[in-house]
Amino acid sequence: MSRIEKTPELIGQNVGRIDVLEKVTGAAVYTDDIQFGKALLHARIKRSPHPHALIKSIDVSRAAALPGVKVIVTGADFPNHIGLYLKDKYIFARDRVRFVGEPVAGVAAVSEEIAEQALDLIDVVYELLEPVFDPEFSATPDAPLIHPDLANYEAPNFIFPQPGTNIANHFKIRKGDVDSAWAQCAAIVERKFRIPHIQHVPIEPHVAVAQMTDNGQVTVWASSQSPFAQRAIFAKALDMSPGDIRVIAPLVGGGFGCKAGVTMEAMPLALATRAKGRPVKLLLTREEEFYTNFVRQGLVIRLKVGCDANGRLLAMENRMYWDGGASTEYGVNITRAGGYSSTGPYDIPNVKTDSLCVYTNHPIGGAYRGFGMSELHTAVDQVMDELAEQIGMDKVAFHKLNAVKAGDKLVTGMTMHPHGLQECLDKVAKALAWGQPVSAGSPHKRRGRGIALAWKAPAMPPNAGSSARVAMNEDGTLTLGIGGQEIGQGAFTAAAQIAAAALGVPMDWVRVAGPLDTQYSPYEWQTVASRITWSMGNAIRAAAGDARRQILELVADVWEEDVDDLDIINGVVISYKSENEQPLRNMVVYGLPNADFTEWKGGPIVGRGSFMPTYVTGLDPETGQGERAVVHYTVGVQGVDIEIDLRTGKLEILKAAAAFDVGKAINPDLVHAQIEGGLVQGLSSALFEEIQLREGVMQNPSFVDYRIATAVDTPRVMETFIVEAPQDDGPWGARGIGEHPMIPAVAALGNAIYDAVGVRLEGPPFSAEKIYLAMLDAGVVN
Amino acid sequence: MAWHTITFTINGETERVTVPSHMTLLQMLREELALTGTKNGCAAGECGACTVLLNGEPVNSCMVLAVECDGAELVSVEGLADDGRLDPVQQALIDVGGVQCGFCTPGVLISARALLDRNPHPTEQEIREALVGNLCRCTGYVRIVAGIKQAAREAAHVTH
Amino acid sequence: MHNPRPGLPEFDYVKPATLGEASAFLAAHAGEARPFLGGTDAFVRLRDGAWRDRYVVDVKHLPGMRDIHFDPDKGLTIGAAVNMNQVIDHPDIQAHYPLLVEAARSVASYQLRSRATVVGNICNASPAGDTTGACMVLGGALHVYGAAADGGRGMRQVPLDGFFLGPGRTVLQPGDVVTAVHLPLPPAGCAGKYLKLGRNAVGDLAIVGVTALGYPDASAPSGYRFRLALASVAPVPFVPVQAEQILSEAPLSAAAIAQAAAAAMNAVAPINDARGSARYRSLMTRNLVQEAVTAVWERLGG
Repeated sequence: MSRIEKTPELIGQNVGRIDVLEKVTGAAVYTDDIQFGKALLHARIKRSPHPHALIKSIDVSRAAALPGVKVIVTGADFPNHIGLYLKDKYIFARDRVRFVGEPVAGVAAVSEEIAEQALDLIDVVYELLEPVFDPEFSATPDAPLIHPDLANYEAPNFIFPQPGTNIANHFKIRKGDVDSAWAQCAAIVERKFRIPHIQHVPIEPHVAVAQMTDNGQVTVWASSQSPFAQRAIFAKALDMSPGDIRVIAPLVGGGFGCKAGVTMEAMPLALATRAKGRPVKLLLTREEEFYTNFVRQGLVIRLKVGCDANGRLLAMENRMYWDGGASTEYGVNITRAGGYSSTGPYDIPNVKTDSLCVYTNHPIGGAYRGFGMSELHTAVDQVMDELAEQIGMDKVAFHKLNAVKAGDKLVTGMTMHPHGLQECLDKVAKALAWGQPVSAGSPHKRRGRGIALAWKAPAMPPNAGSSARVAMNEDGTLTLGIGGQEIGQGAFTAAAQIAAAALGVPMDWVRVAGPLDTQYSPYEWQTVASRITWSMGNAIRAAAGDARRQILELVADVWEEDVDDLDIINGVVISYKSENEQPLRNMVVYGLPNADFTEWKGGPIVGRGSFMPTYVTGLDPETGQGERAVVHYTVGVQGVDIEIDLRTGKLEILKAAAAFDVGKAINPDLVHAQIEGGLVQGLSSALFEEIQLREGVMQNPSFVDYRIATAVDTPRVMETFIVEAPQDDGPWGARGIGEHPMIPAVAALGNAIYDAVGVRLEGPPFSAEKIYLAMLDAGVVN
Repeated sequence: MAWHTITFTINGETERVTVPSHMTLLQMLREELALTGTKNGCAAGECGACTVLLNGEPVNSCMVLAVECDGAELVSVEGLADDGRLDPVQQALIDVGGVQCGFCTPGVLISARALLDRNPHPTEQEIREALVGNLCRCTGYVRIVAGIKQAAREAAHVTH
Repeated sequence: MHNPRPGLPEFDYVKPATLGEASAFLAAHAGEARPFLGGTDAFVRLRDGAWRDRYVVDVKHLPGMRDIHFDPDKGLTIGAAVNMNQVIDHPDIQAHYPLLVEAARSVASYQLRSRATVVGNICNASPAGDTTGACMVLGGALHVYGAAADGGRGMRQVPLDGFFLGPGRTVLQPGDVVTAVHLPLPPAGCAGKYLKLGRNAVGDLAIVGVTALGYPDASAPSGYRFRLALASVAPVPFVPVQAEQILSEAPLSAAAIAQAAAAAMNAVAPINDARGSARYRSLMTRNLVQEAVTAVWERLGG
């Protein structure tokens, strides 16, 4: 180890991104840009028009006769279940369809148009079944069963499906004694919220290309956050060895969770297994992107919270019905994460939570930025806001009193680590001039401010791992092998910074080996959960440290010095003792000769490192209690200052402020950029977004009627703050930030609306119409 | 199916292509000319990822037929840099950190270039309104707007 | 619900050399041919499968289609192929028809306005059309080339009053080619306002749109006449006649304007759809009519 253990200069520096030149020139290659030539076949998918039906027959003969059609497959050809957590999905529907848009057959043809024409020639006969759309009803014994075989589905030991019901997971918290605690409460608020489904809306739709060669080996190119997880899921789905499957993941045009796990990628793969060596591409239309792939689960949440006369929280009862949709292979874990974090970042001694993931005949709920936390906090932070008012306390003071503190026993019994939530609160309150009166700009407007707290832990299996490889090149540059994906968050840049800092070379000596390729890249569980800077960062630091150790040991040997007196600074090995110098070039591949050239020492330097948390414990299935539920929490606060037009209900955000504790900002600019983007995505979901479902059919599957924030919809002023309370096992103290800035947005806005006009809506989007009609019904306007 | 042989310039180069009636300009750029910098985000004229200049004006290339471009002057993102020298809007977006996943970036750059060509000193509101047709999901538009402001400021100091 | 394809369906692109050729082709292929201008509506519907034409007929290049002509005595003629950005930037339109400029500026996005046209907006006959209201209150008429009464082909004027039969349906016949929209000189001393309520701050389709034009008129008991047109509150662009009457009969005041706004609200029968509910649209009709008419009244000196 070097005698100097200070934070390297590169850590905390606003280094420019390493992936932007190609992005601004148009040279950046995304999956749909790869040129495959004339051999490429194009896929289109036949989809169910019904939310719930038995498949009686499928006749593909007319489609198969269409010139240009090369492959047609149906569920009959692929019998295995697939899924990340709960294996409840097929590649193509087999005996029944469970949502509008479910794949029933796939066609590969010489052109997309011919494949599309072939769909019209596939005849499917359905027998309609009674559909279920409401998750609360679906959880009752009266609801028709959507997955009668639930008992037979493979699930990990931390997921608890309830066979014979539509409940795919039931997570419980029983902490303290909630029933007795109510009697001691001076104020109680009880509310129900309904959070609609929304979609991730990556600007790049899903796309995957698959090819199988004669020897049965497979290559898949996919816009993917998770090449290794996909490889594993493909292997199980097709009874293949992961060693015979190669997943290549070029740059991703937006993920937000929808490109995690396997969704549409299995379909071109299935077609490719019959395509006689030709590659098969499937590119989703925007309409398909909206509802046939992954959406964010809807939620019905019933919350009851009470505090004592001093405003100290005493009890929470939290009942969550997650509308998981037709398949909950991923969604079951969102339910769990919602459950083990179900208090929000508040210290509450008595908690009863039931978090249920329920099947419905709705689109499939999957991982979405926040993994249940946005939906949860929409309810929790608004109820806290109401409770503060009821007990007569200033809202910021109420938060400061009740915010979870280091050392507190959390909802799962885990002990909270040090963190900067109080500082985040102070910064946001100050940015909003909290406590100082503000007024609206004109007589027909009302002004209001709202604040919300947020927390989230990386939601993942207890043994999700990262690895990295540092391979030195002849000139001293290094090729950094990683499995974490660049989805826009700046992962490649942060990775390079960490490697350069840990090794002791300039930033521009690092080449991140991309695109990710499971054949060459080292293993990474998935690029999700805001875990990459922390987990992969640790692996990179270890790999660079390994390379560094090998280099220093070699030079120490040749110089006959103590390794502890050596360091690598700017690509040169130096001795603090003798002041000898040895540049890295050449020696990191060819080694060093001894003094009289009678011997060569060393050789190609390849550093390896991996990281996997080892301390996450299971949780009791009945109480949700355990020593360590999660690796850590990132905490933060958001506030907004708004004006509402009394004539229309339209609102304008005058100012938004957000502060997050990232432990250590490896690249502060990238952190600010994440906060900005997440905040706007959160406000977009608060103001505009909703998958409008009627009888299981999405009414607005296009940008015309699924609105997202555009350049004119952002806050007039945005202030973002970084707080740093170091993470004990993060690289130089770093922890993640990718998801968190979106989480408090809806609640902050809901609280501001209440402050402005005294109405609280049952759920987002807080459209002008909903606000206006609520004001009308409350007598605020007439 | 009717076919048309058309001639046009793209990024200063003349091309002659035979296209079917229903091929869009976006498809022609990506599939016939392998100019994949322009992106397909919705095929419905809403997201702006396909924005190119058609006779100097930004259009959604997914909403223009290739055959309509006979005799036209086209500019795509690949044509913004001049012999390796980045256009000020490209450099500005790099400098301020206005690029994340990069998928909206080509369309944004074309809209920005066209804006500054017709209005060299736009106000912030004018910049935002010019970008209404370019959806971005990653950045929250903050640094995109800042980048265009910077490009405008810098161009003001350049003499041609 | 339509299931759009990845790209456009097969069709033949036809580029006739003359108006006569265009009209004859469209008449001969009635039901499977359609003229198109900017394509911003046509290509969406073709991709959706809502329209299934075998031929799309480009008429943008025909004589006069791209012209803008302002005559200080006769008014403004905007060729069918003139796009919205060109309308917004034109000095004569800015000077004499600022209401049309205001309406055009509210449409969609800059990219779509590079292709969308005022004539196309009108012929699309969506009740949500942004520029339709301005053309209606300004007394616009379409110049149409097509079948004439005597069996031949020729030009005729079609006033916008009565042009719309229902959503997407107009009085146009197969073989008709609209060559321009003509707006007479606006009334002396007039002022106008277009208020559009969308979801986003700018752009979007109108949940409710209110076009208001007011001008001094000594023959009116109130001294003013107002022409109003409402978007997205009826199957066609809607004129609330009773509201207009109230504004001409009684002396203008906040109360009279409120009364007119209420009358407009009571006259409309909007629908529930993905963008808004009938209840909200009715109430917004009232509130936006009030706001728009008040703004116009203030500019008229009230």
